[in-house]
Amino acid sequence: MNRIINLNTIITSILLLLLVSCGKSFTDLAPISNANTNNFYNSESDFESAITAAMNTLYSVYAPEGPVSYTGELMGDNATLYIIAGAQADKHAFRDYTIQTPNTMVYSFWRQFYSALFAVNTVLDKLQVASQVDVEYKKVAEAEMRFLRGLYYFQMVRLWGGVPLVTKAVSAQESYSILRSSEAEVYNQIKSDLRYAADNLPLSSNVKLVGRPAKGAAQTVLGEVYLTLGDKANAAKELLEVYNSQEYALQSSYAAVWGPNVKNTKESVFEIQYSSANASTGTHSPFYQFFFPNVNVLGFSGVGMNQVTDDLYNEFETGDPRRDIAISLGYQNGATFQEQKFYKKWIHPNATINGTTLLANNDFMVYRFAEVLLMLTEATGDAQYLNKVRGRAGLPLWGTAGYPTSRYGTLELALEHEARMELAGEYKRWFLLKRLNRAIPVLTAKGKQVTQDKLLLPVPDIVRLQNSAITQNPGY
Amino acid sequence: MKSLQPFRKVLLLTLCLGSFAAIAQVRSVTGQVLDETSGQPLGGANMVISGSSENIPVSADGRFSVRISDTTTALIVSYAGYITRQINVGNQTTLNIMLTSTAGNLNEVVVIGYGTQKKRSVTGSVASVNYDQFKDRSFSNVVQSLTGTVPGVNITQSQGAPGMAPVIQIRGISSITAGTNPLFVIDGVPLEDFNMNMINPQDIQSVEILKDASSAAIYGSRGANGVVMITTKLGKPGKPVVTAGFEYGFQKVTRKIEMMDAQQWIRYYIAAKNNAWVDLNPSVNRATDPNSARGTSTLYKIPEEFMNSPEQFGSGTDWQDVMYRTAPLANAQLSVSGGTDKTQYMFSAGLLNQEAVLDQNYYKRLALRSNIKQRLSDKISVGLNLSLTGIHDRTEGVDGKSDVISLALQSDPIFPLYNENGNLGIVDPNSIWNRYLQYNPVNLWHPYATTRFTNRKNKAYNTFALGFLEYDILQGLKFRSALSANVSNNSYNFYRFKNQGYGYNQDLATSTATASTGNKLNWLWENTATYDFSVNEHDFNLLAGYTSQNERTEFQSVTASNFPNDLVQTINAGTVTGGTSTASEWAIQSYLARMNYNFRNKYFLSASIRRDGSSRFSRDNQWGYFPSVSAGWVISDEQFLKGAEGLSLLKLKASYGSVGNNQIPNYGAVGLLGGVNYVSNGNIIAGLKPITLDNAALRWEKTNQLNLGLDIAVLKNRLSATIEVYRSITKDMLLNVPIPDITGFSSQLTNIGKMRNSGIEILLSSKNIQREFTWATDINFSMNRNKVLQLGPGNAPIFYTDWETTVRTAVGSPVSDFFGYVFTGVYNNMTEIQNTPHEASTRPGDPVIADISGDGKITTDDRTVIGNNQAKFIGGITNRFGYKGIELSVLLQGRYGGEVVNQNYRFLGFWNSGRNLYAGAANFWESEQNPGDGKNPRPSANRRSFQQGFSTLWVEDASFLRVKNITLSYNIPQQVLHKTPFHNLRIYLNADNVKLFSKYTGYDPENTTYKATNYSAGTVAANTGVSVSSLPSGSMLGVDYGSYPLPMVVTFGLKTSF
Repeated sequence: MNRIINLNTIITSILLLLLVSCGKSFTDLAPISNANTNNFYNSESDFESAITAAMNTLYSVYAPEGPVSYTGELMGDNATLYIIAGAQADKHAFRDYTIQTPNTMVYSFWRQFYSALFAVNTVLDKLQVASQVDVEYKKVAEAEMRFLRGLYYFQMVRLWGGVPLVTKAVSAQESYSILRSSEAEVYNQIKSDLRYAADNLPLSSNVKLVGRPAKGAAQTVLGEVYLTLGDKANAAKELLEVYNSQEYALQSSYAAVWGPNVKNTKESVFEIQYSSANASTGTHSPFYQFFFPNVNVLGFSGVGMNQVTDDLYNEFETGDPRRDIAISLGYQNGATFQEQKFYKKWIHPNATINGTTLLANNDFMVYRFAEVLLMLTEATGDAQYLNKVRGRAGLPLWGTAGYPTSRYGTLELALEHEARMELAGEYKRWFLLKRLNRAIPVLTAKGKQVTQDKLLLPVPDIVRLQNSAITQNPGY
Repeated sequence: MKSLQPFRKVLLLTLCLGSFAAIAQVRSVTGQVLDETSGQPLGGANMVISGSSENIPVSADGRFSVRISDTTTALIVSYAGYITRQINVGNQTTLNIMLTSTAGNLNEVVVIGYGTQKKRSVTGSVASVNYDQFKDRSFSNVVQSLTGTVPGVNITQSQGAPGMAPVIQIRGISSITAGTNPLFVIDGVPLEDFNMNMINPQDIQSVEILKDASSAAIYGSRGANGVVMITTKLGKPGKPVVTAGFEYGFQKVTRKIEMMDAQQWIRYYIAAKNNAWVDLNPSVNRATDPNSARGTSTLYKIPEEFMNSPEQFGSGTDWQDVMYRTAPLANAQLSVSGGTDKTQYMFSAGLLNQEAVLDQNYYKRLALRSNIKQRLSDKISVGLNLSLTGIHDRTEGVDGKSDVISLALQSDPIFPLYNENGNLGIVDPNSIWNRYLQYNPVNLWHPYATTRFTNRKNKAYNTFALGFLEYDILQGLKFRSALSANVSNNSYNFYRFKNQGYGYNQDLATSTATASTGNKLNWLWENTATYDFSVNEHDFNLLAGYTSQNERTEFQSVTASNFPNDLVQTINAGTVTGGTSTASEWAIQSYLARMNYNFRNKYFLSASIRRDGSSRFSRDNQWGYFPSVSAGWVISDEQFLKGAEGLSLLKLKASYGSVGNNQIPNYGAVGLLGGVNYVSNGNIIAGLKPITLDNAALRWEKTNQLNLGLDIAVLKNRLSATIEVYRSITKDMLLNVPIPDITGFSSQLTNIGKMRNSGIEILLSSKNIQREFTWATDINFSMNRNKVLQLGPGNAPIFYTDWETTVRTAVGSPVSDFFGYVFTGVYNNMTEIQNTPHEASTRPGDPVIADISGDGKITTDDRTVIGNNQAKFIGGITNRFGYKGIELSVLLQGRYGGEVVNQNYRFLGFWNSGRNLYAGAANFWESEQNPGDGKNPRPSANRRSFQQGFSTLWVEDASFLRVKNITLSYNIPQQVLHKTPFHNLRIYLNADNVKLFSKYTGYDPENTTYKATNYSAGTVAANTGVSVSSLPSGSMLGVDYGSYPLPMVVTFGLKTSF
């Protein structure tokens, strides 16, 4: 009897051992809370998700503490910093032209751009091999992605000069052989991407999803690209097409351009979409909170980014309504009013506060029609476009008696002045000064230690540690 | 039959064969079982008559009475921790049986992976610590009680909050990127990332630490960081023994950080603002300019009363005094154990109720346990170990930087504890203190804003259940099947009051609540077979097994805000603003085999192999082999040494093994998509994009280690030593190899690096005096040298930077060198500046930065290695004294060499937005005539980059000597207890963290705010692998960013059994 039990038990045990050990799938576990790359990029709806994620990269590139903001405002004469959290010295260095190669902000900008490009390039790569999606869909999707790529490289080439040109998702191994392209090569890629986008994107009134780029947006960026390259003829051609398309118009007043619920108006050419509807989706508008001084007097923690200089404030002409729409003088702190000027174009009064985060709803326009008009004057030398902008502000037109000719005696200076007033806080100033070759004289006069070399950022140290074949910009 | 297994087997065997014993003349023998050295009775010892199954009860005072039949009868007496003796009764009628403690003895049984072994036959490196060595300690986590006592095991109490797990490093740093926590094995069940607080130390029989690769290789891919094995108690046959204990004590922060008082701070504040104002435009601005002449920014403005009547602020508020208190601690224990030869059991309950030294913080634990083993038949036994532990706590201050302890240090001393309205802070719009906002920046992170105006509670429940069946198939052949489950449930509730009493600096926060829960189920099924047999004088012990284990972690969290008031603090009262739920899983299956062999109990050989398959790796890379081999030779048993006078033992051992480290994210091999959103027409649209790169080539890190050891004992074991040397090479090391960012990623986890750890460990034990007065000394010493041999492509060094602190790992250097500027002093005048390389904007009073690169300029190339946290050596000395039942034990623990980064220097070393500063900074440079201490630069409210840079000023010597523990106990003599129901009664006074000798500016040189790298960090975050691109926190060990001090803990206790 005992023997039988023994045998049975032994046999059972061995069987059990065998049984459990044959299940190979025991250790094949797929992620539960994340989709993975093996089962995605098939259907149109997959691609819609992927394009949505690519559009999301606009949030970081144009963030109030993002690359375009730090350079466009702080490296110009519009903005300064007082108290700001984080690596303060690295942040102040933009304002002070004391950026060094290990600057953590510069490195984070570099990463943001290439991380954004990875999202964009991945969609482009996968579109090529997607068999289940419609050709027409593919064409527009490709145009949307190439719009973003062109836009990003245009920002990058103005920050660093020639950068490594990545036009598909690359492996670590492949990436070592991608060195810095020349500025010209980068611009060629930008022009090719934006051309494709302009030729294949629908008109603004026909875009499938509000917020996706339209033909006019691609042409506007292309116009600025040509202006930056000194090719005024081509710039004028693109911009005039935008002008004549009847897709865009100025809002009736400057005040009507701004507000938490003023969205995608006719003035808007390319607009980053935000929504305060949910605190956890990361889609709220950060600008009000970040441009508010570094205090918490309204229930949210102000960051203190891009604080407005007196120099900007004082340049507004008497009676220019744009000054008080764009700039707040300070804030009420208990019984005292604390003077510290900051941009208020994106304020959202009484927005929901989640913790110390303000959930604002304001969109951010990367390009708007007023800028198209100013660029048209720049491209054509014709003041009529500029005067439309001045006219809306209710100011005396260029060429008329009331114009402050004593201060802005040439159309070039008038344009420089007008762009500064009209586009204050919209990350345009430094790029305009650079494009007009005015950065050094203007900024030097205001006490900044600017040299030609310092008009480009350094390639971050870490980038060159990763690949020593990447060259540094002169002067660093 | 000769058995390699311990006395239990002998016992079992005798029990089985016992029934054949004949019975003849009967007489009575009485006596007592006593400890040979102390003479203390050994209550509840096991006693059987050789060759019979008869179990003789031994009372709690060690007394026994036995009826025996003839003079050839022998008694076999055993007691845990003592050498089993066989006593021939002969004609005696009274017997005093003296047992020798096995401490340091070769017959001691130690627990090893999937079995036990006599110490004599251990050929790897295993440290064994018995209950007696930690029984009086006050720590909730048994590992804390081992600090400073086990060579090769560096246990660092990184934070002093109750329940905080220490950082355990066994034989150096084993990995740069993968997790570095050892594997915990609880009653045979391997659990990664187990919270040791879930086991009541009073329930633990022994702790074994498998240090070398050959011992750990049986745990294969999880053995590379060493293995900590916990064995819980089981009753012994005999009358039930009830033990009860109660201890009460207190905790206190005895070493405060010296911060500025109000007067020192005001002086510094004035200097910083004046200097910044003057520097702004030196030709025009004057330090004497009134506020009205200082523009609009508050940055340059100084409250008038700071200038006119600073004395009104007195010395101000010491925020450390506000935050810390003397905190009581109570611990009650009750257990019942006992059994028959068929059933053994142990039931216990322990209740710990501990306030923390930090305001409002506490730690409460209830631990219940039931261990039962039942013999069903001659062949079959079953058992169940069940433990249920619940912990409720509120623990803050351990996150450094912006957590309460660090924030309180940053708070300015001028502000009162309460303002005139009874509120905490300066943002109270109706307070006179509100006006200080005009002089921003000022800082007041009132500790109460965090501790009293937020509510938070952690609840953690852990159920551990282990059921097993043991089946003696044939003589020597045993089969064991064990099924176990470990279930953890955690919840966290948080509520922040609106405005936080106006005390959280200048934040007027809205009310917010978070409720989160996590749960984890880990199950394991193990089937093992062992076979013991002998052929002539060759003894074999074979083991084979198969195990499969799975763990699933789930996490849910909901947050809400906009509470109408603070009356209801649960989510339902607010507006839900966010929520998430995630889940993650891993599985491992393994085959294992081992052979232990000896010849004449003198020559030992052992070999093992484990094959692991893990879900963490891609299908092609899931399986790996982890072999080991070891050998030992007891030379002192050889004929040629038999005559050696005084030599009690000489044993040589050598081992080599291969172990792995699988502590990487669960889905590290898969390219994951992450969700991000965008908006159209006001609708939030979900998008997906790749957030990690595919990484099919990922596999485990492998460590191969060679261990050589020598055990020697002389003078009848009075002086013994164990010396071990080891050398391990970790290859295929997982590195977040920096890859060009143009890929869209900054790094990729790649098996590429190579690292070496080599070291020496010495354990010396000496029984100095063995009379009525006893004195014994244990000394341990360990030294580890760590060197990186190979890194990623081109051996490019790896840099990690977090809040300025940069660590560099480079080939030829140890892991994580601190990397920064060398500050050599302070410039006194322009001439000094002009005569040395300097940064363009340098002014007198600025720090002198060494031109390390020698290029005549101060650039980032001037950064160099300025320290490393790894110690040159660590050690501990325990002295134990005994006299008539009084015992005194003193443990000194220390380290020599290595550095700690005082990362709070960033906030407290010089001006940082008006924060308070170290008292030392009051010796700042004022002028050439008043240069201060030559170390603290000229304050300025406008900081410049090089002052902020990570430098030698942040790095301090981490050497220390600590009186870690003093225990004084008294056993009430048996003569007194004789007439009471108590078998023994002991009172004791235990003091931990008694005194620290260190030059460190922060609380404690053991403080590190960054934890050991751990990718399976419980239920806090879904283990998706996304964190791979950020720095592994273990790379920043030894960086203190405002950690929790280690309080002194003094407890008075009483333990008794009846």
